[in-house]
Order: sequence, then structure tokens, then C-alpha cells
Amino acid sequence: MSRHFDAIVVGAGPAGSTAAYTLAKKGFKVLLLERGRVVGSKNIFGGRVYSRPLEEIYPNLKEAPIQRWVVKERLSLIHVESNISLDYECRDGRSFICYLSELASWMAKQAEDAGSTVVTEITVDSLVQKNGFVKGVKVGDEVVEADAVIDCEGVNRLLLEKAGLAEELRTDQVALGVKETLKLGSAEIESRFGLGEKEGLSWIMLGDVTEGLPGGAFLYTNSAAISLGLVLMLNTAKALNEHVSRLLERLRLSPFLSRYLKDSSIVEYSAHLIPEASSVMLSRPYSDGLLVAGDAAGYLLNLGYTYRGVDFAAYSGYLAAQAFEKAHAQGDFSKKGLECYGKMLKESFVLKQMLKFKGIHNLLNDRTLFSEYPRMLSNLARELFSFDYETPTLIEALKRSKKNISWLKLLLDGFKVIRSI
Amino acid sequence: MNKPIRLEDILLNNVWDVDYEPHIKVDSEKCVNCDVKSCINLCPAGCFTLLGAKIVFSYEGCLECGTCRIICPRNAVQWDYPVSGKGIHYRFG
Repeated sequence: MSRHFDAIVVGAGPAGSTAAYTLAKKGFKVLLLERGRVVGSKNIFGGRVYSRPLEEIYPNLKEAPIQRWVVKERLSLIHVESNISLDYECRDGRSFICYLSELASWMAKQAEDAGSTVVTEITVDSLVQKNGFVKGVKVGDEVVEADAVIDCEGVNRLLLEKAGLAEELRTDQVALGVKETLKLGSAEIESRFGLGEKEGLSWIMLGDVTEGLPGGAFLYTNSAAISLGLVLMLNTAKALNEHVSRLLERLRLSPFLSRYLKDSSIVEYSAHLIPEASSVMLSRPYSDGLLVAGDAAGYLLNLGYTYRGVDFAAYSGYLAAQAFEKAHAQGDFSKKGLECYGKMLKESFVLKQMLKFKGIHNLLNDRTLFSEYPRMLSNLARELFSFDYETPTLIEALKRSKKNISWLKLLLDGFKVIRSI
Repeated sequence: MNKPIRLEDILLNNVWDVDYEPHIKVDSEKCVNCDVKSCINLCPAGCFTLLGAKIVFSYEGCLECGTCRIICPRNAVQWDYPVSGKGIHYRFG
């Protein structure tokens, strides 16, 4: 293997493979390094990908290993044994459900077919710097050099931390996601969830699913499996007084889910950290000889009712590749030459969206929102729908169900929610 | 399937290629005076267990999420990724 490449991409997740694919298509000599035994074996996520940004990058996205297209969205507030749900159905799905291991593997295959060299089972130890300029990567005792390194190492950015380019993450910046993949026949999935062939459901649950802790739960339907998971803001999750897997098991067996999941069996149990706070974003996702994309740069958005990670990761990788091309044309891979990456990000939906929803993390960390309000709304629904003789007016029902929440707090919180999302 | 499955049994569904060398090292001396011990409930793989007053750590079932590294208030966790394709092997993700 030649010792010098135009670019080295670290990590064959959605960001890394997309960067490598884009660069290889432009004729650059790219080395894509992956620490897993095969590409995809270290990648996990909730389950859904927004497709439009990927279609722009991969014209053949239709050939990707897509499980189902989301035609049903459900958002539920769970309180004890009742729940309030909002259902939205639309046959024209803009997002799909997949296994990330499969999608990452498909993306890396595109990168390889376009001419990238893909090497697995390589854990990069450090970035090689000369006078602060990234010149390559170190693996064991070996050094591989390149004009620039594109770091797509994921949320645990060990390389960036070691190089002094990122701070260690704090508990108030990330969430823990745990997931069970549950095998269930496609006929059962389709009849139980009311789906057609290739049609999928995305279901987000808030409230008692996390014992009122900030976070939520998700359920996605694959072809013949369900992805069921929990997300807990790490800072407040410390208050948990039982093991996180017990919480997930209780969710799986909860009365409102068990009939959907009957006779399913666990085939995989996975976990991952999710960048939540906008402060995870690098203020400058580039440096001398270095570009950073995907989770490592902090590009993931949790809106409470949906998550966006894969499309942000892939698109930032795509932009990093374009920035590399520009820098190459000018023969300048310094900070100055790579500055265009920052500009492209700012002009793209990735950073625009990240900045637009900057305040949402505070909202999603508000404990009353996850404990008081699901209870209040569930009580409200009971007042309105399950009465014996007298039907209350909306105001009466609201007054009785809000209990100790003051009208002012209600108003202010309502305003906060509307302003943040 | 109507009863919660024990973590040990849930983990049996996963595939690992365990390295001889641990990729995470825990200085359990530092854990002695820790009054939080969040690692016990929050390490999704249950790699941290309490034996008497002592934290016992095993790396074999690690899911490589990075939680322990961030929640440890005593800096007792020295965390790295496994090398040479070792560690967890997600088939679905």
C-alpha cells in the first residue's frame, strides 16, 4: 500500500463513507479506515433516515438496503396506563427505516466502487501533527500520510481530544440511547401496526417511558423486526435507581406495547451516545490539514419528536469532500484553505438547522415537561372522555387536571415549547 | 417473553470478538470513595458491578458506547476503542 494518499478518512460511518465516496468520484486517492471487522459492525442508531439529502449525494439510493418507508408517524405521551397519541399518515414517505450496519456497509461499498481504498480492522491511534498541521494518522507503529485527514470518528472523539482539538464531552451534552432489535414476522408487523408492504411506522414516546426523566423512547418497524429503544439525557439519568436495561425491558412489556410486540424475540441489544447539546458542535470543524464531519463534529438534532443524525452526518461528509477539492485546487490545506468548509456548512441545511434549534436542548432537559405534563394531559383526556354523568367544560377539565401547575407556568412553558420547536 | 429478561440473557444475543487485552481499564481504587457510582446503572452492558463496597469491572460485554468514560466523576476510567476489529460486532445496528 502506498504511504501517501490525497485524503485519509477515519471511520466508515455515514459521514466517512460519504466523504470518501465523494472524493473518489472526483478522482482523488482516498484511504477509508474502519475499526470494525467489517464496515457497519460498529454502527448503531435508532432507526430512521431522512432521504432527500442522501438522494442528492447517492443517485442510486433506491438500491440501498432500505427496510421500510415511513408512512405513519406517532407521537405519544405516556402516563401510567393511559396514553395520548398524535397520529400522522402520509403515503409519500420522505424518510426510511433501516439497519445502520447495512446502510453504512452499502455506503462504504459505493465509496469502494468509486475507487476508494477501504481497510477495516484498523483502529487509528492518533493524528500525526507537525507544528500543529495534521499530516496523517498513526496506527500502531505505522504512519500513513495524506494532504488532509477527514475525521469521522463518531461521538467518542478520542483522536480530536488527544490532539487537543476537542474538549472531553460532559454528561449535560449527551444522551444515552439503548436499543433492542426484536424479531417479528413482517405479516404480524403489517397487521398489528396497520401497514402495507414496505410501509413503516416511526413512533416516539415521551413521559413515563423514562420514569419522567428527560429523554424518550422510540419504536421503528423494520421489514421483519422492530427497533425499540430508550434515550436518556445522561446528566439526569444519574438519578435512575435501577439498571437502564430494566427500564427498556419494562417498556417492551408495557401494556400499550406488549400487544404489538407479542411473540417477538430479542436478536440484538445495542447502545450509543447521542450528541444533544449544540455545545458539542465544534466551533471550527476544521484545522490545518484536518476536516471533521458527522457525530464527531456534533451534527445531530433531537427535536423531541424526531431525530436527525444520518442525513446530517452524510451531508457534512459530502461538504467536507467538496472543501477538500477546493483546498486542493488552491494547493492550500491550511486552516485558511479549508475555511470554505465552515462557509459551506453555514450555508447548508445542516448548520442552519442546528442553529435554528439551538435552544431545544434546554427544553428537552426540563424535568417537568417529561413528568408533569404527560400526567396533566392524561388527566385532561380522562376528564374529557371518561365521565359518568357530567361532562366538564374544557376550562373545568383543564383546571382539575393541571393540579399544582400554575396558569402562569402553563402559559410560560407553552410559550417555551412553541419558541423552541 | 412476558417477564423482563435478565441483562445477562439479553446480552447473549450479541456477537463479540473479545480481545485478550482490555480496551478499558478501571482504577477501582478511585471508586472506593465515590458516592455516585452511576456506572452501575448506566453502563448499558452492566460491565460495572458492586461486590461488597468494591466496583468490579469486566470489559468483555462492552457495547463501546462511551458512557462510563463520561459519567465517571473520579476519572477512574481509561477508555480506548478495541484494536484489530475486536470487540462488539453489531449485525443490525
